[in-house]
Amino acid sequence: MSEYIVEMKHITKKFPGIVANDNVTMQIKKGEIFALLGENGAGKSTLMSMLFGMYEPDEGEIFIRGEKVHIHSPNHATKLNIGMVHQHFKLVQNYTITENIILGIEPIKKLAGVIPYVDIKNANKKISQLSKEYGLEVDPTKKIEDINVSLQQRVEILKMLYREAEILIFDEPTAVLTPQEIDFLLGIIEGLRAGGKTIILITHKLEEIKRVADRCAILCRGKLVDVLDVKETSTQKMANLMVGREVSFETEKKPAHFKEVILDVSHLTVKNQDNFEVVKDVSFTIKGGEVFAIAGVSGNGQVEVADAIAGLVKVSSGSIKLNNTDITNYSIRKRTLEGISYIPEDRQAYGLVLDFTLAENIALKDYYKEPFCKNGILDKDEIVNYGNSLIDKYDIRSGQGSNTIVRSMSGGNQQKAIIAREIELQSPLMIFVQPTRGLDIGAIENIHNMILRERDNGKAILLISLELDEIMNIADTIGVIYNGQLLKIADAKTLTTKEVGEFMMGVKHE
Amino acid sequence: MSKTNPKNTKNANIIYRAFLKCMGNEKWQPVSIPLFSILLSLIAASITILLIGKNPLEAFYNLLQGAGVLPKPVYAGYKSMLTDLLTMLNSMTPMLFAALAVAVALKAGLFNIGVSGQMLLAGYAATVLVGYSELNGILAKPLVLIIGILVGAIYGGVVGWLKYKFNINEVVSTIMFNYIVQYVLSFFINSYYIDPVSRQSKYIRSSARLTFMNVEIAGLKMDLSIGIILALITAFIIKFLVDKTRIGYEIKAVGANPKAAKYAGINVGRNIVLAMVISGALAGLAGVTYYLGYFASIQPKVLASTGYDAIAVSLLGNGNPIGIIFSSFLISVIDKGSTYMSSTAGVRQEIASVITGLILLFSACGTFIKYKIQRGKEKHFEGIKAIGPEDIVGSTTSVEKSENLIKAVEKDSMLEETDERKDTEASILQEENERKESEE
Amino acid sequence: MDTIIIDGLSFALPLFIMAIGGIYSEKSGITNLAIEGLQGFGAFVGALTVVLFSKFANMEVQSLFYVALIFSMLGGMVYSMLHALLCINFKANQVISGVVINILAAALTVFLTTQVNSLMFGAVSDKFQLGVSNRFTIPVLSSIPVIGAMFKSIYPFEIVIVVIAFIAWYVLYKTRYGLRLRACGDNPHSVDAAGVEVSKIRFKAVMVSGALSGLGGMCFAYSISANFSPSIYMGYGYLAIAALIFGNWKILPTLGACLLFGFAKSGGYKLGQVLELPSTFSDLIMILPYVLTLLLLIFFSKSNRSPRALGEIYDKGKR
Repeated sequence: MSEYIVEMKHITKKFPGIVANDNVTMQIKKGEIFALLGENGAGKSTLMSMLFGMYEPDEGEIFIRGEKVHIHSPNHATKLNIGMVHQHFKLVQNYTITENIILGIEPIKKLAGVIPYVDIKNANKKISQLSKEYGLEVDPTKKIEDINVSLQQRVEILKMLYREAEILIFDEPTAVLTPQEIDFLLGIIEGLRAGGKTIILITHKLEEIKRVADRCAILCRGKLVDVLDVKETSTQKMANLMVGREVSFETEKKPAHFKEVILDVSHLTVKNQDNFEVVKDVSFTIKGGEVFAIAGVSGNGQVEVADAIAGLVKVSSGSIKLNNTDITNYSIRKRTLEGISYIPEDRQAYGLVLDFTLAENIALKDYYKEPFCKNGILDKDEIVNYGNSLIDKYDIRSGQGSNTIVRSMSGGNQQKAIIAREIELQSPLMIFVQPTRGLDIGAIENIHNMILRERDNGKAILLISLELDEIMNIADTIGVIYNGQLLKIADAKTLTTKEVGEFMMGVKHE
Repeated sequence: MSKTNPKNTKNANIIYRAFLKCMGNEKWQPVSIPLFSILLSLIAASITILLIGKNPLEAFYNLLQGAGVLPKPVYAGYKSMLTDLLTMLNSMTPMLFAALAVAVALKAGLFNIGVSGQMLLAGYAATVLVGYSELNGILAKPLVLIIGILVGAIYGGVVGWLKYKFNINEVVSTIMFNYIVQYVLSFFINSYYIDPVSRQSKYIRSSARLTFMNVEIAGLKMDLSIGIILALITAFIIKFLVDKTRIGYEIKAVGANPKAAKYAGINVGRNIVLAMVISGALAGLAGVTYYLGYFASIQPKVLASTGYDAIAVSLLGNGNPIGIIFSSFLISVIDKGSTYMSSTAGVRQEIASVITGLILLFSACGTFIKYKIQRGKEKHFEGIKAIGPEDIVGSTTSVEKSENLIKAVEKDSMLEETDERKDTEASILQEENERKESEE
Repeated sequence: MDTIIIDGLSFALPLFIMAIGGIYSEKSGITNLAIEGLQGFGAFVGALTVVLFSKFANMEVQSLFYVALIFSMLGGMVYSMLHALLCINFKANQVISGVVINILAAALTVFLTTQVNSLMFGAVSDKFQLGVSNRFTIPVLSSIPVIGAMFKSIYPFEIVIVVIAFIAWYVLYKTRYGLRLRACGDNPHSVDAAGVEVSKIRFKAVMVSGALSGLGGMCFAYSISANFSPSIYMGYGYLAIAALIFGNWKILPTLGACLLFGFAKSGGYKLGQVLELPSTFSDLIMILPYVLTLLLLIFFSKSNRSPRALGEIYDKGKR
């Protein structure tokens, strides 16, 4: 038996129009934390999906514990003691923790010796035990929809452990966590290594690799760039290898010049469908030339704040003023005309009509105005011309220019189209929700620069992001939201990442 | 991936390639896929007819003869191929209106399967209000049309309102309305307007009828439908409305992605109601041209099958009003020709609705066929589609391309192409999926 | 009073078993508007079997009751595979597929009925005569005041339905298959990640739905209409869907909704009789369940929660 527990040799995986992995070879030792570093789209997830049996490689071989295997399904991977925590958790919301963990390998008992049923009681006990053993305490009878993201992640880890996984793959596990939760998670991962498990950590965050990983493979555009010993390599070097060029970590930012107040939100309360208060008594103001960022763990009401300002959800109490006009009860269109641009969190669900052409999408907020529409009849040429001008200005790439159906465009270009449309509205208030999610470093830099340019043009910017780094980089003022309440509002320069993280978890201190 | 016996696959490959070629590019597909669906259903129908021991070709030939598309061997007095054709066009009128009704609702993402009920109510209202009145033709006929439009529009509006206000699935509500209308009107017809001999409502006066029956021209007695001209014009108006106007843009946006429509400031509720109003009005027109055109009375407790066939017509026509003109012609031919076919070829008339049903079935697979073609093309003609559209924008030679790729890191990069891959693969799937994908 | 309960139950229970079928399909994430067509097709196959048996084996139509039930379930199940195929394998729009299935079922069964009648019996008819199934009364229980009516002149199929409904409940909530099925309707990706094939689970769920719908249709054919004819397409399937929506996709509340429909219908009839209305008024009474459906939908549609992944096409490649 070789010293390597996992060997992937000359792996190539093609999808129509793209080579996701190109002749990648890597070997992973038993009991190490092996990091996989690369930008979004570098092929990390595809590579690991093949190890987990979700895809089969077009070329190349996989060896597990020295034996050649064809992993054809996640089930097979599980049998080979491989487990994976996916970036988007695969949990059934209205099931209990136990039900989620046992799904697929349910323990069966027989009623009166004949009629089979799923033995939940014993499973509960077993999971309780398991969770204590690894320091991942959970209440197995709680439903997923009632627990927070960090606990959900524990459930995912327990799922692997319940299946007796020896090789644990974590796909971007820290993306949705607070700094403190990240600390905890990395501790757990180190504990698992101490218990003899092999860990593969997919990430694009260098500091995490530096903290826990033993070795690190760097992927760039589907190709393996290098495998490095983490202790002997500088963060800067890793970053450069990952991107394939020199990168700067800080966005260049001119000092802020605040002007008069543009947005004034006072005592805003929003209820969800179940009549539950998701935003509680939130007040803040944004001035022209200011980037106000709301930091918070996903699902704490930040998106609802943005939706309430844009008019997508009803305000149950409180008021919203834009340039001293009370817009609390305005329709969405009236708010847009009054001066709000909104880059929504979910670009495909809200930002675009995917079956429309690029030009039609660019005109989505203007189509009814002259010159695009006269007496109820659309002027297609004007719409196309306007689309073309924005396509040039913002370098939006697509197959057939302004006639491309947006569904066929890449995520980054879809996002560019939305940003182009919204910036061109020239609204005094611009709301950006997760503007860089799923984009690579180059595109992120580009969007950050655009946001800052608008700030310097005197616009009021509301930025909502789950990426703390992003917020620390561009915000002038930071508000931290927890459980629907703004716990802290302060000048960004006076806050450290650690402090913000604590507020994000609801720890208040004066 | 597939490494089966090369000899076996080779033949299949040629056929498959030929098939892919035939189905053509994306511009041609809206036509080629429905044609393919029709072909499949004709094959299936042929097998059925063969199974009952009849000759399918003969049956189809009779079908065309019956509809006045091909000449019959003998004609009765005052009859010719032209009169048959005109009769068929007379029956096509309500079908075209009904299919347009389905299509407009579909643009807004609504499934109006209550067209039959809307037709019945509109037809009943026009019959009672105008059909039995003493008004002369010049007043009565336009009045019939107006009543049809109004009644249908209100009916549709209620359905749209229930959908928007109470989130009631329009399929369920329109079906419920179908039954309610059917029974309530049956009660009124049986109580007040019944003709004891025919067990139908009493015949309307010919001044109110939208078809001139048995007009004698050049020794032939023809049924001249006013409706068919109107229906054809309406098809073009709907085409204009959907493609070129603000209303059409908004309705399509609501249908394609209601969340994005709302976000863009479009009043989703109003557009749902509006789409149903237009759809209802068209169904109302279908109703008056059916009950006061093609027929002149109403059979109680029976819904016209036209409302359901219209779904097939609309799907077959790809929801495009011009396509619907052709598909309604086809379905009407099948429907109208079936009587003659059953009397000559001895194939039961009911096979007509089976053929329609089969066409519907295969049309529903249209997206899947499209998906298969796309996948097949990617596999078989890899050279064409191996590079993403983004690269085509950039340049053609491979050297330039690789340079471009390096540059692209600054702007766009591989992830986006991976996304691209996913997008194309799934491009025909529902956007629901897309939404889920990008949700946390 | 007794007749209201007796007739109400015999209407509500077939509806209930169809609604359970619908729950299976929809809980697994497949919108099932095809119930109407499935029940019709199932009843057709059942009735056809009976007619053929009675002709060739010279058996009494009445004694073939259980044969009919079994074949109607098989028929519904086989036909439902078309819906499953369209929705799962061909990724068609599930609403459109359901409507297509219904239209095709009506066309196909009417065509085949007339064809069979003319070929086998030389008769021009779109009906298969079945007669009404025998009834029985449970001795002791039926003498209880009021509730006793529940045990009076019962159709045998009512017992069959109650038993099957109980089994269906047990399978859905207590067994491995049920656990996986309900997970498919909430988050199919989690099921996939757990190494279970979503499409198989869903395919089976639709088949269960087909079998139960077929059973329901057969019961209607054997009771209310006493034959198989195009009048089987009376919207029973849609009523069942409405019932499961009020029942919030849960079995017991759905039973409540079905009973409500049943008693509304039988109560309406009784009312007509008591008031001695002329027969034309029966048409007006017929609309009661439909009006009730609309009213209930107005109150319940907004607050009820459908399974999260309902109607969504599942694509493995998506994350």
